[in-house]
Amino acid sequence: MKKRVLALTLTFALAASVLAGCGGDKEEETKAPETQAAGEEGTQAADETQAAGDDATQAPAADSGESKGVIKLGGLAPLTGQYAEYGTGFDIGFHKAIEEINAAGGVNGYTFEIEIEDTQSDPVNSSTMATKFAEDDEVMALLGDFSSSAAKSTVQICDSYGILQLSPTASASDYAAMSPNFFGIMGRQDVEAPFLAKYVLKEYLGVQKIAVIRVDSDWGKSCYDNFIAQADKEGLEVTVETYATGEKDFSSLITKMQAENPDVLVVMDQGDPVADIFNQADAAGWEIKHVALGPGTSEQVVKRLNDKDNLIVTSPFFFDPDDAELTAWAEWFQSEAGFAPTIHPACAYDCVYLIAEAVKTIDGEVTRENLRDALANLPEYTGVTGAIKFEADGDIKRNYMICGIEGGEWKVLEGFEFGAAGF
Amino acid sequence: MMQQAKAFYEKYKVIILIVLAAVLAILPFVVKKTLYIRYLCNIMMYATLAGSLNAINGYSGQFCLGQAGFFAIGAYTGAALAKNFGISFWPLLIVGGLMAALVGFIVSLPTLRLSGIYLSIVTLGASEIIRIIAQTWEPVTGGSMGIKQIPYPEFFGVDMFKPQNYYYIFLGLLILFLFVTNRVLKSRVGRAWMSIREDEIASKSLGVETSRYKSTNFMYGAFWAGVIGVAYAPFVNYIEASQFTTDTGFNVLAMVVLGGQGTLAGPILGSVVVTVLTEALRFLESWRYVIYALLIIFMMWVRPQGLMGASNSMLAGGKIKVKEEKKKGGEAK
Amino acid sequence: MEYILNQLINGICQGSIYALMAIGYSVIVGVVGMVTFTYGEIMMIGAFSSYYIFTGLSNNLPLAILGAFAGSFIIGSIVYKLCYERFFNAPRHISLLCTIGISMLIKNLAQIVFGPDTKPVLNVIDNTTFTLNLFGANLNIRLLQIVVIVLVIVFAVALTLFFNKTKWGVMLRAVSQNKDASYLMGISVKRTALLGNCIGCGFGGIAGILLALYYGSVSATMGASYSTKAFAASVLGGLVDIRFSALGGLCIGIIENMGIIFTSATFRDVFAFAFLILILIIRPQGFVSKKGARV
Repeated sequence: MKKRVLALTLTFALAASVLAGCGGDKEEETKAPETQAAGEEGTQAADETQAAGDDATQAPAADSGESKGVIKLGGLAPLTGQYAEYGTGFDIGFHKAIEEINAAGGVNGYTFEIEIEDTQSDPVNSSTMATKFAEDDEVMALLGDFSSSAAKSTVQICDSYGILQLSPTASASDYAAMSPNFFGIMGRQDVEAPFLAKYVLKEYLGVQKIAVIRVDSDWGKSCYDNFIAQADKEGLEVTVETYATGEKDFSSLITKMQAENPDVLVVMDQGDPVADIFNQADAAGWEIKHVALGPGTSEQVVKRLNDKDNLIVTSPFFFDPDDAELTAWAEWFQSEAGFAPTIHPACAYDCVYLIAEAVKTIDGEVTRENLRDALANLPEYTGVTGAIKFEADGDIKRNYMICGIEGGEWKVLEGFEFGAAGF
Repeated sequence: MMQQAKAFYEKYKVIILIVLAAVLAILPFVVKKTLYIRYLCNIMMYATLAGSLNAINGYSGQFCLGQAGFFAIGAYTGAALAKNFGISFWPLLIVGGLMAALVGFIVSLPTLRLSGIYLSIVTLGASEIIRIIAQTWEPVTGGSMGIKQIPYPEFFGVDMFKPQNYYYIFLGLLILFLFVTNRVLKSRVGRAWMSIREDEIASKSLGVETSRYKSTNFMYGAFWAGVIGVAYAPFVNYIEASQFTTDTGFNVLAMVVLGGQGTLAGPILGSVVVTVLTEALRFLESWRYVIYALLIIFMMWVRPQGLMGASNSMLAGGKIKVKEEKKKGGEAK
Repeated sequence: MEYILNQLINGICQGSIYALMAIGYSVIVGVVGMVTFTYGEIMMIGAFSSYYIFTGLSNNLPLAILGAFAGSFIIGSIVYKLCYERFFNAPRHISLLCTIGISMLIKNLAQIVFGPDTKPVLNVIDNTTFTLNLFGANLNIRLLQIVVIVLVIVFAVALTLFFNKTKWGVMLRAVSQNKDASYLMGISVKRTALLGNCIGCGFGGIAGILLALYYGSVSATMGASYSTKAFAASVLGGLVDIRFSALGGLCIGIIENMGIIFTSATFRDVFAFAFLILILIIRPQGFVSKKGARV
């Protein structure tokens, strides 16, 4: 009996402490605008690892003197769960960009800070956390979420609070069009997938029979739908197979495709399975040209591939080994995260810069509304992931090039001008 | 102390319940932060879902692991019918519940001959099959694109998007669920379920049609999971198969077991504990679930029968002979 | 025809990995008497142990297998202490929830310690493919597949010998059959159950390294889907019988890969579970011939 009482008391104590904790938060929130220092403190508490970055923020704020305040951003990222790899990438990408911007003295007298909440890319969590940020009047924009499904679930929240959501990676074809407040910079599949069909397969490789293995997700589906529409126009013969997210064993799919005897094997996925499928195809002794749609010039793919030199991808950007800045970025990411970067953290990094660019164009006080308008009307900006210019519905159309790997390093096979006229 | 509390509760039962309901009803006016209202909505939603699982696991002693599947049936039925045919939310609550009950019935058929773990794996498998069908049946479930922008319920022009208003849907469902379940448990049916839980062979020999009651029990649990699924879909506004994985099922199971299987209040308490813990531990960032898991194990050690654990049933601590083992000091049986 | 036979080889290979998983699983369930949902994470630990041996020391397969076995064995003893020992006479759902908790713990801890990214396990075994001509059909068998199948058979036979020929094996079987009676016979039930759990986990670890080799990668979340597969396979075999569990695993592997011939791989788990449910409708005790299971 005593234990029961103890357990109940513990529970209530826990609940009480949480409420108390929330109360504490509120106090902090109200204090925050009063002084710059309080804001800094909040950041430090939120993320101790970025302590160095905060030091950097304090310095310019002190000597510029015309500081207008802090622009707070709300980050939604899957820090735990099956997408933790990408959430960690987001975390690092966001903080890196903010650190740099603040170290350079901020923008228009504003410095930036970000609070990142873990959502596991789950719609319930994501919309709860979006509510949290949207309710906080100081938060000017939401950055995230990782998956289209989580990003889509916040549409009503963003609309009713009038806050913009800029997702680095949500790329379902219907995501950005759902709301004027939604923006995405991954690039929609109605450009990349037809580009793959027409220019990469038809013109560059000149192949006819194509085997496609794609992930069965909203992203994979919109990729394939766009791809097959163009492939039909080009008169390509396509066989397709799908697999569920989280699949590891591709040997049966490979055997199935092998029986079709195609000219080229195309994989549509953004994550780990790209390397897995090609490695398992190699292991099965299948000699075929490999093409991938989705991973871009991911360093991770290079690291994980068995036969590195046999891969062609479409990519809107390229880690040029001769470009010191970009190489430094990739190396820095590797040291920070402990694994090689994919396109995702680079997109996250660019997102912060896009917000900063938008703030640059605003005279006077930044509000959620004018930040949204400024972002929508932003002139073309070139980030680490290439040129970005928002279309009317908040999406971007990227230009693509054809990249391959040579000697373990990415290499541009055909530049942006190749086939650029078509799309 | 607990006895006194219990006596006090029995004495003023009606008043306490009315006060509690009144407090819950005015909460959205008092709590200004929408975030906290959302947390409350989540808690009540999971409380009802956990309650529906508890109706199966806690009262008839069948070990269902596939509640996420029934939940998915409700959510998809509600969302697809509301989105494609514009059917109002309120009748859909019943339709979704009945659909889930139907599936519950189908699932219960092979499980009648099974018990224990065999039954668990069948329910787990059924839940996975439902999820994969939802993932692939494009014309109805939207396949991997899911169903987005699910219409909000209409209620005399009240803006149901606001969690402050949606709160009352979940509150109403939770109260309705508790009320109905309480009645059912006190009826012939509920007593039959509990007799199956305590001793299936004995209850069979006393003339309880165990197969029929086990089947109705499954349908009852599935029905409420379906109802809450219908309410869940507009609340998150976007549903997709990945929201109904076995992890969702395990999460709900954790609420039931932590709160106390076989008690009405247990799943509610479980839902509160799980939600509060996962949210309160956010400051730990990636360590959050490590600590959360440790706390779950710790709670099971301290109080294996759950926070509200019933003391008069098979499921309760009466069977846990931890202390006696210690006294013996030797080998446990 | 050629295609179907090649697909069958894939199925047999994957099925034998499932079989090894199921063997480990049924040892645990048999000896401990309680199911576990930590098994996927146990396999992941085994896979990571071998990954660190491959990258840190050398591409030495026997050493890696030993490492995987040891790693999972140790984790198994922790799982036993936390989830089972205390709850032997408690209702089943308590220890089950503990194993779910441990699974969450290990998975999230692994993401922090090992990193959240997927890591490659490549070129441990040469990418050699043998082409076998059978009645005019060309069958492709990979060296890797042969290694996997041979290893599974070796370990299954070794475990059977251990169970039948050694003193500990007999004790394990006795505990598996009747805990009360073995207690009366002077067998230390707790110690035997600990050993049984650890051996089962060790086999899970070996299955983990085979998964890593066969799929060419390891990641902290890799175990999730295999835990239920191992569970399903061992239920199919009647939960406590090693030979029938192995058969169950093999069947699930073959059914899955054969199903993919007709539809897509998205339906993989549908085939596995539908087959399981079908068998359980016909034979509620699984494949096992006698009504031996008491779980």
